[in-house]
Amino acid sequence: MNTETVDRPAHGAGGGLRGRGGLVIPLIMALVSTYVVIGIAMMEVPPDTTFPGPKFFPTILAVAGYLLAALLTLHYLRNPDEKADQTEYRTYSDWTAFAWVVGGLVVFILLLDLLGWIVAGGLLFWCVTRAFGSSRPAFDISVALLVSSAIYLIFGVGLGLPLPSGILGGL
Amino acid sequence: MEQLNLLLEGFSGALSPMNLLWVLIGCLIGTAVGVLPGLGSSMAVALLLPMTFALDPTAAFILFAGVYFGGLFGDSTMGILMNTPGQASAIATTIEGHAMAKAGRAPQALAVAAIGAFIGGMAASVVVVFLAPTLADLSANFGPAEFFALSLLAFGAISSVVADSVVKGLTALALGLIVATVGIDAISGAERLTAGSMNLFDGISLVVVAVGMLALGEILHVVTRIRRDPKPEQLGASGDRAYLSKSEIKEAIPAWGRGTAIGLPFGVIPVGGAEVPTFLAYDVERRIDRRRKVPVFGRGALRGVAAPEAAGNSTTGMAMGALLALGLPVSATAAIMLAAFRQYGLQPGPLLFDNSPELVWALLASFFIAMIVLLIINLPFAHLWAKLLLVPPPYLYGSIVLFCVLGVYATGLSRFDLLLFLAIGCLGFAMRRYDVPVAPLLIGMVLGPLAETSMRDALLGSNGDYAIFVSGPIPLVLYALLLIVVGLKARQVLVGRARRDV
Repeated sequence: MNTETVDRPAHGAGGGLRGRGGLVIPLIMALVSTYVVIGIAMMEVPPDTTFPGPKFFPTILAVAGYLLAALLTLHYLRNPDEKADQTEYRTYSDWTAFAWVVGGLVVFILLLDLLGWIVAGGLLFWCVTRAFGSSRPAFDISVALLVSSAIYLIFGVGLGLPLPSGILGGL
Repeated sequence: MEQLNLLLEGFSGALSPMNLLWVLIGCLIGTAVGVLPGLGSSMAVALLLPMTFALDPTAAFILFAGVYFGGLFGDSTMGILMNTPGQASAIATTIEGHAMAKAGRAPQALAVAAIGAFIGGMAASVVVVFLAPTLADLSANFGPAEFFALSLLAFGAISSVVADSVVKGLTALALGLIVATVGIDAISGAERLTAGSMNLFDGISLVVVAVGMLALGEILHVVTRIRRDPKPEQLGASGDRAYLSKSEIKEAIPAWGRGTAIGLPFGVIPVGGAEVPTFLAYDVERRIDRRRKVPVFGRGALRGVAAPEAAGNSTTGMAMGALLALGLPVSATAAIMLAAFRQYGLQPGPLLFDNSPELVWALLASFFIAMIVLLIINLPFAHLWAKLLLVPPPYLYGSIVLFCVLGVYATGLSRFDLLLFLAIGCLGFAMRRYDVPVAPLLIGMVLGPLAETSMRDALLGSNGDYAIFVSGPIPLVLYALLLIVVGLKARQVLVGRARRDV
């Protein structure tokens, strides 16, 4: 999927892009449609397929996708984002908090197998508490480990879900 | 009265201790997520979906039904007390409900809301019991052309009604349809849009999309706002029990009735759930109020709380009927439940009533039980539910994020799914930020395969003749309905523009 771009929507750039962040939506739509077009071009259709084949529906979707992307561009250019201008902060959205959650998830996904569920999950929980403005980071560590261990015990040990044990498994 | 006998058998199934427990758990979870702002029943159902595979289907759906209804009971509590509706279906109730709370009548508002939700849900359940088998018989005659028309109606209605602009609704729908085409094509066996990746051969799992869109997308939205927006203050929610005086009940009864009547038909029209009917019910009450000698709307009108609540739950009840009898999901929550049915190898629609009557009737019976349970846990204890807000948001959301990754990981045990989940969550955030509705995406993803297969089956059957799509009374009726829905939306947009110009 071509959705990685939404991690960095155009924001707070001042000047020309201020209030134009909505353009990220038509951008995604156009990228996804392009992915569909490439997919259709590369598709190997079994020889005995009769009309309408597997390309029929995606073709309609790709055409509709480009059309929608154009209409969306028009919409967001005509209706600039008012919220972005009314905020007293430099950016409307709190990107620091956003980064804590997304960063926590990225670290969790990368290190899950290595660290195991309890440690990686605890780390993720702790990152989310930071994002939500918890004022007791040290205390949060114990809460985080408590919650992730409880989930590990209930779902991993109790219900037999194969959650990775990671480094703790070797102890 | 064949239905009554079947329903009685259903009750004997639903009243088993284990199933009663699931009803109770579902109602508790539903009320809790309804009460908490930012969480909703669609998020709860998405998070529960991967956890319920260990249950038998009847238990799972009883649980889902409890959550679905419970969300509608709980969402108005916070709206009334703090002016923060728990989910979109409570916004209409909040307007007058919060005004009542400001005037010191919070207990009355809560009671009227809970009883209204109860009446709406009960009425809808009764209608579903008698109507659903008929609907199922009707849809037994559906061929590919009819199913294609039905899915087009669902697509058209959902994308035109839920968004401020039809283009945004269609964008979400198109994204959902594209997601649904990924994987091996069921008819020809061709590999589609997988970019050669093994991870995508089986398509993209609905759990990944639903949890990413509804849960992570919402959490990211909340986290970017939580330190920026002013905190709402809780109003004098005294611990008083809610006693309604006779005159208050008399005042509310017609509103409950009207709200229920408005909500019922919306259960079978895919407009994204209970939001539209609740506003319609609110609007009707306001118009009636204006004709009185002393209009009370704006200063805390009982009827402005009673009608939307009844409408919301009657829509939800009917929506469950439409889901069971036609396989037609009208909201994001219903779409996830439809996917859950498929995971169990069940296909909602006419065959479900013939093939798994014990499941269907136990589920319908559990609606009635859920209504009673919900009334009991909401009417006297509304102010206790408000205490849920004392859970510190960092820990609440931390736990939810952990449950998200647990659910996503549990379905495929793959890190690729987790990455996809993160990307979809970011997409969900961008869509919320720029007012693109997410419900059409989920409906598109769930109904996409049905639309595509029925379209291709119809064309295969007719040797490529497109006239097949309009060759029968049922498709024509469905297209007419679609035209009406789109026409109403166009009128609303035009009227809105004309007003702005004046």
